[in-house]
Formats: sequence, C-alpha cells, structure tokens
Amino acid sequence: METPTKGVLAAGARLLLRGWRVLVWAYVVNLLVGIVAALPLAATISGILDHSLEAERLAKGFDLGAFFGLLMQPEVTMSNFVPGSFFVSLLYLVFMVFLTGGLLADYRRDQRLSFGAFLDACGTFFWRFVRLLLFMLLAMVPVGILFDLLNRGAAKIARNSPRDSVNYSLVLGCMVITALLFFAIRLWFDVAQIRAVAENEPKIRRALGKAFRMTIGNFFSLFWILLRIGIVALAGSAAALWFFVKVIRPEQVGLTIVFCQVFVFCWLAIRFWLRASETVWYQRKFPAPAAFAEAPILPGPAESEPLSLPAPPLATPSGDTSA
Amino acid sequence: MSRRLVCAALYAALLLPAGVAAPPAPRPSQAAPTTTAPRTALSERVVAYQIDARLDAQKKIITATETLTYRNLTGQPLQTFPFHLFLNGFQPESTFFREIRQNGNRGPWEEKHRGGIEVKSLEVAGQGNLTSAIEFIQPDDGNPKDKTVFQVRLPKAVPPGASVEFRIAFESKLPETLARTGYKRDFIFAAQWFPKVGVWWRGAWNCHQFHYTTEFFADFGTYDVKLTVPQNYIVGSSGDELSSVANPDGTKTLTLRGEDIHDFAWTADPDYRVFEDSWQGSAGAVKIRALMQPDHESQAARYINALKGTLDRFDRWYGPYPYNRITVVDPARGSAAGGMEYPTLFTAGTSWLTPAGLRLPELVVEHEFGHQYWYGMVASNEFEDAWLDEGINSYTEVKIMDSLFGSKTSAINLWGLTFGDSDFQRLTYAVVADTDPMVRSGWQFMTGNAYGGVTYGKTAMVLLTLEGIIGEETLRRALRTYFMRYRFTHPTEEDFLKTVEEVSGQNLRWFFDQAVYGTQVLDYSVHRILSDPVDWFAEEREEKKGVTLYRSHVVVRRLGDFIFPVEVEIKFDNGETLREKWDGKDRWTRFTYVKKAKVVSATVDPGRKVPLDRNLFNNSVTREPDPAATRKLSNVWRVLVQMFAQALAWLA
Repeated sequence: METPTKGVLAAGARLLLRGWRVLVWAYVVNLLVGIVAALPLAATISGILDHSLEAERLAKGFDLGAFFGLLMQPEVTMSNFVPGSFFVSLLYLVFMVFLTGGLLADYRRDQRLSFGAFLDACGTFFWRFVRLLLFMLLAMVPVGILFDLLNRGAAKIARNSPRDSVNYSLVLGCMVITALLFFAIRLWFDVAQIRAVAENEPKIRRALGKAFRMTIGNFFSLFWILLRIGIVALAGSAAALWFFVKVIRPEQVGLTIVFCQVFVFCWLAIRFWLRASETVWYQRKFPAPAAFAEAPILPGPAESEPLSLPAPPLATPSGDTSA
Repeated sequence: MSRRLVCAALYAALLLPAGVAAPPAPRPSQAAPTTTAPRTALSERVVAYQIDARLDAQKKIITATETLTYRNLTGQPLQTFPFHLFLNGFQPESTFFREIRQNGNRGPWEEKHRGGIEVKSLEVAGQGNLTSAIEFIQPDDGNPKDKTVFQVRLPKAVPPGASVEFRIAFESKLPETLARTGYKRDFIFAAQWFPKVGVWWRGAWNCHQFHYTTEFFADFGTYDVKLTVPQNYIVGSSGDELSSVANPDGTKTLTLRGEDIHDFAWTADPDYRVFEDSWQGSAGAVKIRALMQPDHESQAARYINALKGTLDRFDRWYGPYPYNRITVVDPARGSAAGGMEYPTLFTAGTSWLTPAGLRLPELVVEHEFGHQYWYGMVASNEFEDAWLDEGINSYTEVKIMDSLFGSKTSAINLWGLTFGDSDFQRLTYAVVADTDPMVRSGWQFMTGNAYGGVTYGKTAMVLLTLEGIIGEETLRRALRTYFMRYRFTHPTEEDFLKTVEEVSGQNLRWFFDQAVYGTQVLDYSVHRILSDPVDWFAEEREEKKGVTLYRSHVVVRRLGDFIFPVEVEIKFDNGETLREKWDGKDRWTRFTYVKKAKVVSATVDPGRKVPLDRNLFNNSVTREPDPAATRKLSNVWRVLVQMFAQALAWLA
C-alpha cells in the first residue's frame, strides 16, 4: 500500500490544479463579497475625497492623520458599513458550505466531475454539511472556554512578573494551544466531510464518530499535512508583506489592488490545497474498492461522460467599486 | 502628563511584531552617590522641607517625619495654612474617584487601590501641638468625604518676612498604582507622598483638592530627604544623592537634596537596570540616568537619545536647563505610573519589542522632559491654567518631535504608515473643538476627553496657528522670553499672552479672545469652483484651451464661528496660480475671474498655516476628480472583508 503522506501535498496540488475552475469560482464569489461590502464605503468617501487635495495624503502614502481625519467626518460612520460587510461574509460562508460537497466529490474522483454532477453533489451534501458545521461550532465552545481560562491563568501569572516578555510569551502560548485545538477539530471535521462524501454517509453523527477515531488514530500524519501547508502559507504571507512594504510604492494604487487580490486568491488556494491533500490522504489510507471508487457518489445514474464546469468569468481584481 | 489616548493607540500597534530599534546602548552602570555643593538660589525658596522617611517594602507604607520651614513672603501676616494630602484621593468617596466615575469608568472598587496619608501629629515651632486643630476642607466641590486638603489655624499669625516651622509626623499608605503614584509588585513610585503646603497666589491661598484630570501646584524651595529602603532597591529621585549608608537591618539610608524645585518624587525597585550618560548644555553638564525595567534594556538608548535631542533643542530654543541631572524612569509593567513629570525626574513608558518606527518611547520622553520647563521651572497653576503647561508643552513637543523625526513621521513611520505628532494633536482637538475654552480649570471641563483635547491638542493648534500670524521664529523668541522671565515663578495666562504680544509687537486680542478665551470653531471651506465660457450663449461655439474666454467663480465659506483671515490659492489650467486674501468675516465670499483658462483647483490656507481649522478635507476643491484615495481605501476594506469571509469559510 502507498504511504499515505508520501507525496500527498504534490498530489493535492495536482488535484487543485485539475479543479482550478472551482477555485476560481470560489474566488470570484469572494471578490463579489468584497466588492459588495466596499460599495457603500466607496460611495461615501468618494464624496469627501475625490475633489479634495487633502486626499493626496492617502493616495500618495498612508498618512494616519488624514485617515483618522476622514473617519471623523460625520458622513463616515463605521456602523453604516460593518453590518452589511458581516452579512455578506456570512453569505459567503453559506456558499462555501454549499460548494464543499461538490469540491470533495470532485477531488475524490479520478476525473473531473461534470457541472451537473458537481451541483448534485453540492446539493446532496449541503444539509449534511450544515449539520456538521453546527456540530463543529458546538465542539468549538469548550475550546473558547479553555482559551478564556488559559488567558486568565496567564494574566494571573504575568501580573506577578515585571517582565513584558513573560506576558507576551504566555499570551502567545495560549494562542498557540488554542489554535492547535482549533485545527485539530477542523481536521476532525475535514475528515468527517471527506468520509461523508466518500461513503455517502447520511448519518452525520455516525460519520463524526468514525471520523473522530480516524483523526485520533492518524493525527500526526494529518497534522503533518496541515503544518507543511501552514508553513507555506505563513512564509508566503511574510514574503508578500515584505514585497508590499518594500517594493510597491504607495501611489501605485492599481498595482496594490491587483497584488492584494493575488494574495487573497492564494489564501483561498491554500485552503483548497489542504482539502485536496486531505482527500488524497484519505483515499490512500482508506482505499475504496475499485468498483466503488468509480461508482457515482450520488444515488442516481452516473454521467455517461465527464463534463466540465463552465469556465468562470475572468476575475477582474482591479475592478474598482468607486468608479 | 501624557495622554492616555495616544498611549492606547500606539500600544495597540505595539502588538505588531517588528524589529526593535537597536541604536548603540549606553553602558549599564551601578548608581554611585555624588556630592553636590549648594548652589546659588535660582528661586525665592519659599519652602524648605526636611523629611526623614522609611519605606516598609512589604506593607508599602512610608513612615516619616517632615519639618517644613515656610517663609512668609506674601507681604501680609498669615495665620491659616492649607496642606495637600493627595494620597487621600485614593479612597472610594473622594472627589478623585467621583470624577473618575463621572467620566464613565464603572469598574468595581478594589481595596488594593486604597491609599492615604495619615497625619500622626502636627506641631508648629513655638506654638505647640496643633494636631487637633487639623480641619479638612473642600474648596472645589464641597465633597465632605474628600480629605485631600486640610488646613490648620495657628494661634499666632506669622508676620510678613518671618518664617514658621511645621513638624509633621505622618504615615503614607501607597495604593497599588491606579494613576501616577503607588506600587506595582516591588516597584515603588512615591509622588505626592507627603503633606505639602499650598501656594499663596494672587492674594489668597491656592490649595485645590486632588482631581481626576488636574495635577499639582506648589512653591519652590529645597528638599532634604533621608530615605531608608531595603538595600537591594535601586532608587531614583528629584534630588542629588549625597550619600548612601548601609544599615545593619538590611536597609540603606540615602541622603537626597533637591534645590529650586517645587516637588519631590522618588522611585525604588530592585529590578531596575541603570543606564547613565551625560549631556553638555549651555548651563553645564547634565547627568542623565535611565532606570529601566527588565526586558527594556535595549530601549534605554531610545530614551537617552530622545532625551539628548530634546535637551539640545530646549537649550537652544527656549533657554538653559539649569539642573545638573535628569532621571528618566521606565515604570513597571501595568503600573499606570508612566508619562508623568516631576522635578528633575519623570516617568516614560515603552513595551518589549516596540518597533523603531513606533515612536511612543521617544514621544513620551520628549513630552515629559518638556515639563521640566513648562511646569518644572515655569510653574504655572496646573489646576487652573493647565494649558499653560500641558498645552505649551504639547506645542513644543510637536516642534521638537518634528525636528527630530520629520513632521510627517514624528509619531509613526512603520510599514508605509505615517503619522505626524501635529496631526495627532489636531485630531484630539477636533473631536472636542467647541466644548470648553482653554482657560477653564481642569476639573470643570465637560469630560476627561474634552480636558485632554482642549488642553493639549487645541493649545498646540492655537500656537501652531499663531506661528502663521507672527512667524515661527517670533513665537520661539516669545517662548524663550516667557521662559527666561517667568522661570521659578508662577505666571498667569495673561503673563504668557502679553509676552507674546510684546515680543511680536502685535495686538493679538482678536485671536486670543476667540482661540484662548472662547469656544469658537475655525472651519473654512471651498464651497465650489466653476468656469463658464463667457460666450456660453453663442451658437456653434467651440471651446479651445488658451483661446476660449471663461468667467470663473470660486466661492469660499466660513462654516465655523471663528473669524480668521485666510489665504485662498486658485490654480488655472494654463499654469497660472493666484493667491487671494479674505478677511474671513462674512459667511462667504466669491472670487471671480475672466481669463482664457479654467480653474483647476482652489485651496483655502494653501500654506497650511491654520492647523486650527477643524476640517482639512473641505479646504480644497479640484475640478477633476481623483479617485485614487477612494480606490485605495475601498481596496483596504474590500480585502479585509474578503479575508474575513475566508476566515469564516474555514468553518465550512
């Protein structure tokens, strides 16, 4: 049997590339969310900035004096922008819950799913994944409580130390522990989702129980996948930040917009890469019988020939809301 | 005192990881006693305090005896003497706490914050024990529970020119620091820790209660302090350390002397790391001492370099620093004692890994050192005329920070983000521009924020605007004259304003009446610009650049009630630039031009000489829109929302 973790990232990356259309669709929707959220802000501030020379302090640099001065304008009220942005972000979450079923079904197949089959998978698993999401939120509650307790304990220890570093280290330690727990839970639910798709498991609690045992039994190999991808993401982010600060000039607004969208796209791709790698790992670890693997995931007739998702419209990262 | 607002804002940024500043660090050293010969008196030396104090480091209690010799230079007999007991403010029913609650702080009372001074006995030489004659008074608000001021009536009045000697035994219980003074773990900061006599000023005693926003006011004199602390404690104080003697009981007694100062604060902490340096000024050498917390050693150089730069500019611009020492104290983490000034000693504030581009340590050092001039030597009444020290000091802070780090980057220059100190001052003012006049007593402002915004920010903006009227160099000369004339005295606001008028040779009442004594808001704006072809009615008309004749209008408005003459710059598309002057009295004015060019833009105050203008975005109008800034900020928001949405989608 193939070692489950060997070459799993490369195989995951190949899957990611094969399913690039789904990634681009997810990005386009993400971009739309951002555009919709930024529209009211752009409409408001354009009335203040577009005909004012003071705006140069923001366009040709990022002067916090001008920025806070802008925030003090009576028209600029954050409560006008934040709730709407939060709402569209929630819609994006719903969209991604919907998309995940099709994405995982696509990743577990040797060939790309047809558009219809993809949508069928999305619809079939949507409510199952909604239930999984609710279970995951429940599982997060103890983690939140633990984080709070750890923080209180850390604060108590730090209060008795004259050293800042003790305080920072303890806070960082709490965050790392909590993040590890969060990721452990996320891995558990990732496996549950993959298993739900692979086995077409309708009973979510049973899927969760089995996924829990699978995750616990293979935690380190799963975590190794997550850790390597996480390191790539963090290193890439650091490099991006360096590039943004050192290379892009403040007045290069168009380039800034493009660069930021590339960054956003890469973060989305990272998540998809992890999903693909986990799916590869699962398939290697728990190979299904050949006939089963090739069988349709869903009840109903298999597609006679692979079809592809329609190519998404070209994303226009620089599409500005203020024009 | 430095503002909590800037601290909060800048400390928030401290959480961002970044490299620390690493200028060459001064060499750590062991504190060594020095011997200082008495100097020629610089002040009238109204008071002479001799205090023998012992710190119980476990109980945080100071047990002391105080001998105060008061010289009656008032020109009239004095029979009643008021004294401050500031530490009694740290009691739940005090005026200090009443004002904290009034400002919206709803935290529960914690017994660890209780502090106080108990006068065990009070004798007056030749007049007997007057302990029973002590009477608590509340001159500011009549709160009978406030015990921060007491008075004692002597059986015999002290004649003019004579002296009186008070012998007071007292015990000071330090609070865990909530503001300015107290302890945190082993860190001790003892300020306002002893009974201090009020000031005879403007023909009456001036001895205010301890307030949330106000600070201190006292007479100049000498302080001879014997301080006994555990031997492992490192001490900094407002005085020269004349000797240090180890005692058999594990303590040591320091002999400290301060001359021509009006307060005496000290600090002790076994964890201090000591860094020393020196600076040569026009009045002689100054010994610099930085008492740093563990983890902050690498930032001692930042403190000291900022201090030297500040000393240098104060010395050149405003007058000599006459003391031979200055101590900067890095307070303990979470002590709430940072950003306070005392004679020849002040507290700063920083955090582990503060990046070099975040200039909070430098800013606090500059501001608190500035108080050595505007409070320490020019000892205006901080209760009643806080703008004379905090406000003038905020102005000089802007000038010096700009000089040291550049006007656009004097507060923050980090990862492409910039923030000038003058902008910071302007923002604090802009939110409370019309609440209170500058001349209001500190505790009478609408809120703590109004006090801060007007006293610090508005004063700084008023003086920066004054620069535009009389010239930067003239204002500098006026400040120098004010310093040299009123150092070691208690000047009033009129003393300052008249000095400015005298040096500038201008009658500035029209400005002072609005800016200093009034609450008028200054806001001028370009309402609209318009260029219309003169032959707009002609058929088959064709507009050609440089040929077509346009009638252009520029409308400028006064939106606020502050009347100020302004300059307006009008630019045309043929490259021509015009400067117009408007007295600003009417609510609006219109400039009309007939030229073969269209107006491109109009700007009120193009030279940025009126920072008192509350809203700078409406100061200009361009014909063509430039959406770059809108695009940039929209992009920031868009990306933030996208990333937030992605973070949420991790739950999917």
